[in-house]
Amino acid sequence: MTADPIAATAAPPTPPAPARKPPRRGRNWAPLFFLLPFFVPFVLFTLVPVGYALYQSLLRTERTGGTFGRKTTVFAGLDQYKEVLGDSEFLGSVGRVLVFGLVQIPVMLLLALVLALLLDSTVARLKRFFRIAYFVPYGIPGVIAALMWAFLYDPRLSPIVELLDKAGSAPDFLGSSMMLWSIGNIVTWTYTGYNMLIIYAALQAVPSDIYEAARMDGASEAAIAWRIKVPILRPALVLTGVFSIIGTLQLFTEPQVLRSISTSVTSTYTPNLAAYSLASANNYSEAAAMSVTLALATFVLSFGFLKLTGRKAES
Amino acid sequence: MSLRTHRPVLRRALVALAALPLLATAACGGSGTEDGASGEQATCEKSDGKVKLTYWSWIPGVEKAVAEWNRQNPDIQVTVKSTPAGNAGTYQNMSNALKAGNAPDLGQIEYDSLASFRLQEGLTDIASCAGVKEAEGDFADWTWSQVTFGAGGEDGVWAVPQDTGPMALFYRKDLFEKHGISVPKTWEEYHEAAKKLKKADPKAYMTHFSQTDPNWFSGMLWQKGANMFAQEGDAWKVDVDSPAAGEVADYWQKMIDEKLVATDLQGFSPALYKAWNNGEVATWVSAAWGYSTIRDNAKATAGKWAVAPMPQWSAGENKAGNWGGSTTAVLGKSEHPYEAAQFALWLNTDAKALEILNREGGLYPAATAGLRLEALQQPVDFYDGQKIFDVFAQASGNVTTDWTFGPTMTDTYRFMGDGIAGALGGKGTLKDALAQTDAKTVDSLEKQSLEVAK
Repeated sequence: MTADPIAATAAPPTPPAPARKPPRRGRNWAPLFFLLPFFVPFVLFTLVPVGYALYQSLLRTERTGGTFGRKTTVFAGLDQYKEVLGDSEFLGSVGRVLVFGLVQIPVMLLLALVLALLLDSTVARLKRFFRIAYFVPYGIPGVIAALMWAFLYDPRLSPIVELLDKAGSAPDFLGSSMMLWSIGNIVTWTYTGYNMLIIYAALQAVPSDIYEAARMDGASEAAIAWRIKVPILRPALVLTGVFSIIGTLQLFTEPQVLRSISTSVTSTYTPNLAAYSLASANNYSEAAAMSVTLALATFVLSFGFLKLTGRKAES
Repeated sequence: MSLRTHRPVLRRALVALAALPLLATAACGGSGTEDGASGEQATCEKSDGKVKLTYWSWIPGVEKAVAEWNRQNPDIQVTVKSTPAGNAGTYQNMSNALKAGNAPDLGQIEYDSLASFRLQEGLTDIASCAGVKEAEGDFADWTWSQVTFGAGGEDGVWAVPQDTGPMALFYRKDLFEKHGISVPKTWEEYHEAAKKLKKADPKAYMTHFSQTDPNWFSGMLWQKGANMFAQEGDAWKVDVDSPAAGEVADYWQKMIDEKLVATDLQGFSPALYKAWNNGEVATWVSAAWGYSTIRDNAKATAGKWAVAPMPQWSAGENKAGNWGGSTTAVLGKSEHPYEAAQFALWLNTDAKALEILNREGGLYPAATAGLRLEALQQPVDFYDGQKIFDVFAQASGNVTTDWTFGPTMTDTYRFMGDGIAGALGGKGTLKDALAQTDAKTVDSLEKQSLEVAK
């Protein structure tokens, strides 16, 4: 395996990866020391909570005596997981986010790709302005964005609905058939710019002599974009795809905010919302089991996606 | 920048590393439950020397009352922390703090959440603290029944009542007069009035029905005497879909089906306030504290509202429901239960404290003496000079005492909210919502290993 010196890619939230193997000769602790700022928080705030959630998910509450009783916590094996996997509302919520992801992720990534290619094209003007403008929604806190969209969807408050009403008929953005896509719209609005930036950054890394060669051979701009840039962008698209899959399964803020104004969002609308509801009712063990199940599902989906795209690349 | 040259293994490792923190946030959704928050205490003795207490509350201006206590009691100094409302995060924080062992000595807890906190062993029984049992007569009967879990003190006193939310009918006097509608005394008349209003103004609604306020609906059940829970020996009886509750559900289902109530307006939402301001919604059956909600959010309608007693299920009855209201509880691990109980009693019975809490926080006191506060005898400008608190004082005495909240009320409200949302969205009825809430609540109690009476 070649140690790639440029492990940190354009993806902003990627943690600093151990880029180089420590030299074999003697024991050199210096690299470990430099890794501490990463590993201490990583252990404290990632590994320990994960371990604790795993431990929690194996417990059950028991009580003795009286209507309130004395509480003891006992080991329950995989009982909570059985409970979670037998919970039709939870399974329904997983199905819901999967449908959501199947539609929303391709739409968003396609949009991000097109925007990135446009920004990268030779004819684009005001590149800096547009790059920032597309990215701005990502800088707005999720709750604020969801609240803002909630106002735009609310039939009694929204100027958009009012305009659409005057023009003909406005769709019921908060109705049960539209709700998932109303949420999809908010998510797309928020994350397209972010994904565009990852793709755009990957494009900047392509040496321009490739394009020159292509032009010499008479390739049009469109052909360059489709035949050269897109294949080169494959790894960046895979990366944004994995991030999006993870984000989709974790969907929480938007449905939680819209829940307060719409009758279409229940307390178990998405898996994360379901786990949150359980934890709020002090059923920590089942909430932990649900979270672990969700984390596993995310793992399986992300790695399945990587495997699938990896195989295609080889063929 | 050469993502494309990465070997798949490294790339995968990279992605996995990037994904881990995200997964962790999912996995640590539920934090731990450490046992051992002691819910019991045998004696309640005075501590030696100077005592410092901490208190969490979300009453606006409560720090002024606390400052008054601190002035009068140099040896028991209370520090109050202003928190968000209970269900807006404070209960979660309290639960976590109780587990971590750094909970405040005192906390504000609403009646419907007391049982949940007792279940978590988060409350201290203050029955043996000086003056607590003697205070029974100072409070509205039903509030004492709430803090003693219906056992009249035999099973401990778990908090001191603070404020209440006896319910009455807020209505648009001007609209009623304009359309020749008389003030409904029964629910039957309320339905007739709603139809009359709709006929006179097709765009108007009698009231709004919100899925975000399941505790409002439980106030309706309370008035009807449709008790959702009862304790039977060592077991809990869950009776959410009782015949009496079914009547209430059927009534409101009829109102929904006939489109007499607005189903797309959520409680305390900007959309609702807009509808109040432009006269789209004509009444609100709400609690005593609701007077300021209307006053502050429907400014355009000043002088147009009035308050009447809650409509009755049978003519001639005088029953009221209750919506909201809090207690001051001594939390599970307080080292100074005696001093904490003294403060809680003072805060909720002392004339000066009651006056401050009413003036600053708009609290409607649980202490019967509090109902005679000067401020509660005055005409209220916004309500065209009506002495609206006379109506609530009467309602306060008419709230039935045998209502019991369940020990997993957060879950019960959630199931009810989901069910109501379904009914409003055209999936199922309110009666279905009750049946569903009943079944799921039984499940939720069993998950907490509580015995459920069949």
